[in-house]
Amino acid sequence: MLGLAPDSATHRKALRNLLQATLLILGVTFISFLLMVYFGPDQTYTLIGKNATPQQIAEVRHQLGYDQPFFQRYGQFLASLFTLDLGVSHSTGEQVRTILARSLPVSLALVIPGFILGNLIGLLLGMAAAWQSGRWLDRLITTLSVSTMSISFLIIVIALQIVLCTPYGLNLFPARGWNVSGLSSYLYYVAVPTLALILTNAGYSARFYRAVFVQEAGREHIRVARAYGASPFTLMTVHVLKNSLLAVLTRIMFSLPLVLVSGSLLLETYFGIPGIGKVTFDAITNGDQPLLLAVVGLTAVLFVLVSLLADVAYRLADPRIR
Amino acid sequence: MTFAAATREPAQSLYQPDEVTSIWQQLLADRSGLAGLIVIALFALVCLAVWLGLAGQDWAQAKGGRWEAASQTYWWGTNVLGQDIFQRSVYSVTVAFEIGVLVALSSGVIGAIAGATAGWHKNSWLEQTIVLLMGIMDSIPFYLFVAALAFALQGYAPFKQLAMQLAMIACFWTTTARLVRAEVMRLREQEFVQSAVLLGLPAWRVLLRHVLPNTSHILLAQSAIVFAAAIKAEVVLSFLGLGVQDGVSWGLMLAESTQEVLAGQFNNFWAASLPLFALLLGFNLLADALQSAMDPRQLPA
Repeated sequence: MLGLAPDSATHRKALRNLLQATLLILGVTFISFLLMVYFGPDQTYTLIGKNATPQQIAEVRHQLGYDQPFFQRYGQFLASLFTLDLGVSHSTGEQVRTILARSLPVSLALVIPGFILGNLIGLLLGMAAAWQSGRWLDRLITTLSVSTMSISFLIIVIALQIVLCTPYGLNLFPARGWNVSGLSSYLYYVAVPTLALILTNAGYSARFYRAVFVQEAGREHIRVARAYGASPFTLMTVHVLKNSLLAVLTRIMFSLPLVLVSGSLLLETYFGIPGIGKVTFDAITNGDQPLLLAVVGLTAVLFVLVSLLADVAYRLADPRIR
Repeated sequence: MTFAAATREPAQSLYQPDEVTSIWQQLLADRSGLAGLIVIALFALVCLAVWLGLAGQDWAQAKGGRWEAASQTYWWGTNVLGQDIFQRSVYSVTVAFEIGVLVALSSGVIGAIAGATAGWHKNSWLEQTIVLLMGIMDSIPFYLFVAALAFALQGYAPFKQLAMQLAMIACFWTTTARLVRAEVMRLREQEFVQSAVLLGLPAWRVLLRHVLPNTSHILLAQSAIVFAAAIKAEVVLSFLGLGVQDGVSWGLMLAESTQEVLAGQFNNFWAASLPLFALLLGFNLLADALQSAMDPRQLPA
């Protein structure tokens, strides 16, 4: 009996998480549905021309589900998200699923290098600042991160474009486009967006990681390890980093979808790269409801699922949180 | 605490008067915080001057030629339509303040109310609902939420213009609410709050007079952070066509400059990005100083 007690508590906690995730998914999909289908503009006339017969109008309204009750329409929207049967784009007539499957890899290829490098550089800077806490290196890193935090993403992108992609600067990289056919062309096109992502994210990351590491470095066991003569390198990597890994991983997991969305939206629109961000931007400007609805709904659901998975992973990795 | 002392309504603030002065003193002694405050004050003066009609009034008039260089008449040159870029940038200060103040105040009030309610009614259905709502709003990426809201409000004329601000308020209150909730949970267990409850004061009065004033340090620092986040997001949103709809803003000027820099015209770019950087830096420095002055647990930077 005694042996079962913690297990049932674990199960109850897991069930609770599952329930919470379900409620969150219902919530985010409901808001997307409410905003873009229920209160959104009437799509009838975007689908048929001006001189339609009343019969045609009724037919399209039936197709769009305008004659069905509220919750039935919401249920259909939910079903379409989970079966990935997302309908056709109003502006191109293509299957939304096909569009997403084609553009998602481009966005991942565009954003992932900058995301990884930005976090890595932030991690190293945060570690250096925490190690030298209160001294000039720490002050320098803190000042640099506050300064980069005060520069808008758009300004960084424009400035990098001027410096690296125009005759007014070094003119080393392409000013626009995504014409990737191999590793060298990939590096050629991904360099400037990657640099932009690093500059926007490294400052925030460095500050966050510094705070985490400073707190961890102040603990008793670190002082003991120092007293036993551990080198600063071992101290920071083995003792401090290992113990704050949870905070680090949480930040990385949760910032990925956000960086993916905001990064791809701005970078792809700016550089004319055919990824999911450009697709979303075009859907916004064209009022392409099925496409926009799929992007918003799917991203939100993915975000909830990632956090659920993260929670499960922590439980497996760290017995302290059970 | 003796019973006699407990029957009187306890003092309003957890911070004694001398502690409040010391927060100010700490803030003023923090050189970077002071610098931030001065920068913000200067921008606020510009904003006031525009409101009073003393500056930046001719931002919409196209009197000059196309892309004129800086001169005595046009201090920062003209844009493609021949409009005075300096005046446009000055007027944009007001636009930034209007967005920042509206978003920081609204999301602060909503965050304070929601956070206090959730923290006070711990483990109730009310708390569960508020926490769920925060989770939902945090799960929808901000830029996509703005797009969804702008799409929804297309047909609703007065709100259409405010889609960006409304979306910011809807997304930014959650952080404030989380921080306030945690602080209220902690304060609830404190003696002075417990004694106010035991005196039979209604919950709203205890919250309003005794609990919320003690979260003011959170609300103040959060306001600075949200203000900065709002004007920073405005730039990207205006570039994407989801931000300021008509008129002028630093975001719209930068959006304009994205076409011009390839042709070697940098006036719009500098005139928008330099003041934007200065104002954001001011708010970031102030927020840092506020956080370290008011949070005794914070390690010295």
